[in-house]
Amino acid sequence: MRRRTPLAWANLTYERRRLLTAIAGVSFAVLLMFMFRGFENALYDSQVQLLKLLNGDVVVISKLKLNMFVPEQFARRRLYQAQAYDGVEQAYPLYTTTAYWKNPETKRIRPLRVLAFNPQDPVLPLPGILAHQEQLHLPWTALIDDRSRPEVGPTEAGIVTELAEQQVRLVGTFSLGTDFASGNGNIVMSDQNFLRYFGALGPDEDRRTLNTVDVGLLKLASGANVEAVAQALRNQLPKDIKVLTKAEFVQQERDYWRNNTSIGFVFSLLATMSFIVGIILVYQILYTDVAEHWAEYATLKAMGYSNWYLLGIVLQEAIILAVIGFIPGFLISWALYQLTMNATGLLMQMTIARVINLFIATTIMCLISGTIAVRKVQATDPAEVFGS
Amino acid sequence: MSQSMSQSMSQSMSQSMSQLVGSTTLETNSDPNAYAVQIRGLNYYFGQGDLRKQVLFDIDLDLLKGQIVIMTGPSGSGKTTLLTLIGALRTVREGSLKVLGQEIVGLSRAELVNVRRNIGFIFQAHNLFDSLTAAQNVEMAVELLDEWGDKRQKAIEMLSQLGLADRVDYKPSALSGGQKQRVAIARALVNQPALILADEPTAALDKKSGREVVTLMQQLAKQEGRTILMVTHDNRILDVADRIITLVDGRLETDDNLENFVNTHDPKSLDRRMFMM
Ligand SMILES: Nc1ncnc2c1ncn2[C@@H]1O[C@H](COP(=O)(O)OP(=O)(O)O)[C@@H](O)[C@H]1O
Ligand SMILES: [Mg+2]
Repeated sequence: MRRRTPLAWANLTYERRRLLTAIAGVSFAVLLMFMFRGFENALYDSQVQLLKLLNGDVVVISKLKLNMFVPEQFARRRLYQAQAYDGVEQAYPLYTTTAYWKNPETKRIRPLRVLAFNPQDPVLPLPGILAHQEQLHLPWTALIDDRSRPEVGPTEAGIVTELAEQQVRLVGTFSLGTDFASGNGNIVMSDQNFLRYFGALGPDEDRRTLNTVDVGLLKLASGANVEAVAQALRNQLPKDIKVLTKAEFVQQERDYWRNNTSIGFVFSLLATMSFIVGIILVYQILYTDVAEHWAEYATLKAMGYSNWYLLGIVLQEAIILAVIGFIPGFLISWALYQLTMNATGLLMQMTIARVINLFIATTIMCLISGTIAVRKVQATDPAEVFGS
Repeated sequence: MSQSMSQSMSQSMSQSMSQLVGSTTLETNSDPNAYAVQIRGLNYYFGQGDLRKQVLFDIDLDLLKGQIVIMTGPSGSGKTTLLTLIGALRTVREGSLKVLGQEIVGLSRAELVNVRRNIGFIFQAHNLFDSLTAAQNVEMAVELLDEWGDKRQKAIEMLSQLGLADRVDYKPSALSGGQKQRVAIARALVNQPALILADEPTAALDKKSGREVVTLMQQLAKQEGRTILMVTHDNRILDVADRIITLVDGRLETDDNLENFVNTHDPKSLDRRMFMM
């Protein structure tokens, strides 16, 4: 059995230049949607990136700590109390603060987030950190995030510069990335060094000890019910702390940014506008095709083709445009995601779910354009093609 | 002479003419299956309300199956309108119109689409898709049938009969005007429609290719017993007609065979209005 004459494909590909314009138009809309969706999620994903990497099943924080920005600590005693509970195997304290870093080349000062813990504890099991556990024990040493912003300067082992106005020697690097709370990048050091840098500050400064903890991580025995243990701790420990499962901890942070900023709204709006721009661009292309072939389409109607067939032709053109326009748009976006990640340290993730969602959005975009454009053919009176 | 006077004179003249000729030359046949088209008391109007304008007046017309009928008449006399009504491209509201035995007055849009599938349309412009080859353009018509496994073969056969065997895979842009019109004719004829409606099919062609195209249509129609109704202003092709009808100001005026037509009309000036002045 022979196939139908591929009229949609033939009409679309007959004029190469118009086809290229059409593909460029769709690709552009796809690119905009990818970038805006990407930024929106990057901002959310980046906020919880560190939280997801922290090695704990249950997290303990001060009840005042609504998000990672809030510098509220709780007593380390609570961690020891928690450790005594059934099912809790380990408790790790994590200390965080912000400290000024001097770019070793430009000598400009930049604030970095400091993450401090006992190097023996697997608090943040990143390859770069695990590889330098021993060196971290040396006094006045630290590791630097190699995905810090470029203004921080070169990030490599051996660099000697200043942190919190004291000398520091880098013994290695790890990869984390930036977020709102650490706009420029991160430093990792041992709890002992944390005490060296931040335990002997002047009287008006926020002097730190190891007795107050920013984030406490609890490792549970394998097979323990995370929800149940968290609930037990919540009920029985004093109420000056908050006990969250790791998922709740991540969700609290995400919700904070979602509910207290306009990021989501702004980027959704931008993505929607890209979608509408796409509809207009594709409509223009399809309408031109329909208008230029008006007499031919009307002749098809005179021959006995129905409006449905013509709708089918234009919708096929729309879907073809969606598919071949999506591919370059997707590839360029992917490249731009990498570029953005390298330039800003933001987490731009090209997830399969996002690719599928945007492909569906692109198809819907083209179908809407096609449906509007085809009304012209459907309204065509086949009697009008007879000459006068 | 003013425009309106000339028009009213031509109108009154046409009325007397149709009374004169109509009764003597109208063929009669009692078997309704012998007719491809039967029209009774057809009126047609364009526009609505104050702008309503009647363009066809009380048309009675029977077209015998297998005949080639040429319709002439001045520009604006309603020829195209009549053709589109017979072709089920417009809806008739007054009178009766039977096409291939079926009454089409009162049919729904979908039913009209089905009637069209039995009619071959040939327009003044070829209306071929530039993006499709000659064969593909013809295949588009074959695909309207339920069985089209051999559609390319059918298209090539039809194109070959029209002398385009070596052009089947050419796109319209690579064909001459006459060749394009022959492709359009192949598209109209490939499904072997019982009725072919053509509106000035040679108007865009030079003398020679116009003549060729009409001769081919005539041959195919005669071989297969098709009925053709063709509007033309082209005197040189009148000889293919079995019958010639003339429409003036929306009224069917002359119903003639060729000899009568040539005898009663000055062949050099067929336009009645020019004749008058
Ligand atoms: N779509 C239309 N709307 C209104 N008037 C029309 C339309 N088409 C044709 N007419 C008018 O109807 C009359 C007959 O036109 P037409 O059938 O095209 O004549 P012909 O084909 O003999 O030149 C003319 O006066 C023309 O102006
Ligand atoms: Mg006309």
